[in-house]
Amino acid sequence: MSHLSMETLVALREPGTEPGEATAREHLEGCPLCRAEFDRLHQRVARLKALPALRPSRERWPAVLGQVRAERRRRRFRAGGLAGLAAAASVALALGVTSLQPKESGPDRARIQQAMVRSQVLESALDRIDPESRVTDGQTLGIAQELEDRIARVDRELEMAELMEQQGRDAALLRLWRERVGLLDALVDVHVTRASNAGL
Amino acid sequence: MDSYLLADAESVVARARQGDETALEALYRAFEVPVYNLARRICRTTEDAEDVLQETFFEVCRSIRSYREEGSLWGWIRTIAASKALMRLRRNKYRETDELHEEVVGRRKDDTHLRMDLEAALERLPEVSRAVVWLHDVEGYTHDEIAGMMGKTPSFSKSQLARAHARLRRWLGEEVIA
Repeated sequence: MSHLSMETLVALREPGTEPGEATAREHLEGCPLCRAEFDRLHQRVARLKALPALRPSRERWPAVLGQVRAERRRRRFRAGGLAGLAAAASVALALGVTSLQPKESGPDRARIQQAMVRSQVLESALDRIDPESRVTDGQTLGIAQELEDRIARVDRELEMAELMEQQGRDAALLRLWRERVGLLDALVDVHVTRASNAGL
Repeated sequence: MDSYLLADAESVVARARQGDETALEALYRAFEVPVYNLARRICRTTEDAEDVLQETFFEVCRSIRSYREEGSLWGWIRTIAASKALMRLRRNKYRETDELHEEVVGRRKDDTHLRMDLEAALERLPEVSRAVVWLHDVEGYTHDEIAGMMGKTPSFSKSQLARAHARLRRWLGEEVIA
């Protein structure tokens, strides 16, 4: 029998019953050259496993976090968006039709809806700018992240506020939605300014 | 490997599922190097590998709620990383055939006398062969699993592995003199 091919030697490392495996193993036992080749194969694999781990030269976590937050905003926009827009539309209608009637939902509800609509408009503007896909300088990234951090904090507070008892809830929601709109406005400004400075 | 990389993996995963950004960052810090290393061994450039690192952890953050803890956390993250790296190879239209690879690298008459170190030899392999070597010999994937990830057959994976080892042996000057 001629010497074993590399394909056979590689296959012999695997447990299994490939056709001809028994014959190949028998040859391996009796052939010093194939045995040496087989040992070298094992040694090469051991050396591959021992290669030092390569490390990234750039920090990528801020970019990952930016993507995660953008996705959350989009999800909030989608989840709150349809319901919010529908509610806002009904409120707008109701305000038009029932401005002379007693307001069951109170003035805060209408203002909340207005803030939600404004928030959604700004989210859409951010989506169109798509900041995650663009190269950003360090200073802009820092400012944008600071704003993103604050939006994330407001979002958590909004979730908590939605669970509050009726009393005081609308006032808290209104304050938070307005804060969110202000922060989003600033975030859009940061990206628009950066894009115009960069000539994008 | 999980407990080696992340001592309190269970609690970190539980918090990450709630969207806790500190926990998500802890996952990133724990697995950043092995993910990048895997990506860099498969991808052609450091930039591609860094993009795979980012794509992998974005996917981890998005999907951590669906992680069922049936296998190890590293196993789950590693499969995401390997898929992303292979996707990038496909997107970059990898050099799949040996013939094309020879055209790109250039045939060297003195191949048999080359004495490369292992890093250089590994880097010189065609992308697909290198990916198969790394996934099979280092990460421990089976040919069936590699075939599944690459959209190829197990025979394709086996033959790529054998060819890669034949090349490595030659480039490393390890040929046995009969």
